[in-house]
Amino acid sequence: MVHIDVQNLSVYYKGQPGLRNIAVEIPRNKITAIIGPSGCGKSTLLKTFNRLLDEQEGIRIKGTVLVDGEDIYADKVDVTQVRKKVGLLAQRPQVLPMSIYDNVAYGPRIHGVRGRKRLDGIVEEHLKMAGLWEEVKDRLKSPASGLSIGQQQRLCLARGLAVEPEVILADESTSALDPISAETIERRFMELKNDYTIVMVTHVLRQARRLADYVIFLYMGRLIEHGPAQEFFDHPKYAKTQGYLSGRFIEEHKIDRELDLKCGEFSADMKIVRDEFGKIKPGQILRVTVDREEAVGEMSGSIESDGHRILEAKRVGKISWEIVAEKQKRIK
Amino acid sequence: MGMNWRKIEEFFFKTLMIGATLIVIASLVLILATIVVKGAKAMNWDMLTKTPEGGFYLGKEGGVLNAIAGSFYLAGGATVMAMVLSGPIAIYLNIYARKRSKTAEFVRFSLDVLWGVPSIVYGAFGLTIMLYFGMKASLLAGMITVALLELPMMARAMDEVLRMVPHDLKDASYCLGANKLETSLRVIVRQTLPALMTGVLLAFGRGIGDAASVLFTAGFTDYIPDSLFGPAATLPLAIFFQLQTPIPEVQDRGYASALILTMIILAISLVVRLLTRWFDRNSV
Repeated sequence: MVHIDVQNLSVYYKGQPGLRNIAVEIPRNKITAIIGPSGCGKSTLLKTFNRLLDEQEGIRIKGTVLVDGEDIYADKVDVTQVRKKVGLLAQRPQVLPMSIYDNVAYGPRIHGVRGRKRLDGIVEEHLKMAGLWEEVKDRLKSPASGLSIGQQQRLCLARGLAVEPEVILADESTSALDPISAETIERRFMELKNDYTIVMVTHVLRQARRLADYVIFLYMGRLIEHGPAQEFFDHPKYAKTQGYLSGRFIEEHKIDRELDLKCGEFSADMKIVRDEFGKIKPGQILRVTVDREEAVGEMSGSIESDGHRILEAKRVGKISWEIVAEKQKRIK
Repeated sequence: MGMNWRKIEEFFFKTLMIGATLIVIASLVLILATIVVKGAKAMNWDMLTKTPEGGFYLGKEGGVLNAIAGSFYLAGGATVMAMVLSGPIAIYLNIYARKRSKTAEFVRFSLDVLWGVPSIVYGAFGLTIMLYFGMKASLLAGMITVALLELPMMARAMDEVLRMVPHDLKDASYCLGANKLETSLRVIVRQTLPALMTGVLLAFGRGIGDAASVLFTAGFTDYIPDSLFGPAATLPLAIFFQLQTPIPEVQDRGYASALILTMIILAISLVVRLLTRWFDRNSV
């Protein structure tokens, strides 16, 4: 079941593209990890899901993000309702300047929950969910800033859960914590994923391996590869993913020959591609641009079964896709 | 050689720094000493609790309760008016306006210019407006004038305070589905309350101590003001009138009045310090 459906999303910062033509579906009640090197656009992508990116200046967002099938960037959408539904746990815990109790009650109060009894119940329930209740139940009235960093992050989790979101976004939420606190948060995520869709950004591959059910790999603002975690980690399809996972330096491919294909009948197209491969030497690289999404899968398959190696296949425009392949010696 | 010169340089600047600091402290002590020594003679319970009686300005019975009350009414009212305007301005500039918005920069520039305008100009402006509307010198006219005087200072002080609020704090509130107003009032104002209060206090201090702006606008009376539309006495003017007379007893009362005004400002500073400590508990 798809929960967040990203269609053709591009983000520009001061006119420069930060994310380009991202299209991906995020499954419901699973942990999805967004990985990639620093500056690849992980956090940017995450912050488009609750429209927090709107608050940043000089940002222009194009494309569509559907949550439960509803376009959250549509004109009449109330952004506060989007953020109620899609919560975010930041990198560094930022408690509000009030007591522990009021931190958790803040969201529910904003959304109209009144009455001491109801709020007491909400606060207790969500502090328990975040695994903080036992540690703070005797000092709910004391300032939240007096908690340790690890406790503060769990308080932020409780506070986020208290508005009853469906999605929890986590932006490297354990990176500022000590190992034990980080592990506590991880354990919470594993429990919470039964009821919530969790999307986490992480630069720690081991964390993604431990937690993720689904993985999205970004590189330089582009979506390189995505898929179920097991498959992604065990059999990464493309050279950039393989390079990143094995800790190698990711090189931009030197393109030896280009083909811009207006897609028509498949077998005719494939003949043109084969001709192009005939014109380059083994080890050289051909880039084929196609103008139909359906062509990508078929064509990549045929190229591979011809014995060549697909380095990457990515969306580069609204309808255009790029297949980058390396010519191999035919293994007979 | 070079080494020596560096030492001389440092010695020179150290002396300059210590000298400047001493001059500041000495002036403060001298001012306080003057008003205490000269005012103590005339200081008594009557000064605080009685209004001027017949012949007060010739050295007879009475006190300056009219001016104490008038000053509190006037500066208090003016400060509330200035707050009602400054708060929204500061929130608009920092939460709603874009960072380098032309409007915001123009508003800031205007406030800076207004801040530099001498208070006698506000007094003259207040008088013009008053005459235009056919008002007499009154508590209300004085309040409005002093509010205008306090506004630029208070708004810019609040503006600087809100500018320092970390982005993460606003985002934390937005992420829970709060809108800008809720975030401003429930989180940002709460976080910065002590600093905002300091801005309010500074403005109150400027308002209660200013003579020129109330000279034409508030008038003067020997009675405690009982209406917004009647005249009101103020401490700065009471000091001014008493020091003007040739009678030594009355001049001493002028110093006693100055002492009262200084003590009021001191007391308010202390109260705000206590408040600050109280609110600081919860800020992050």
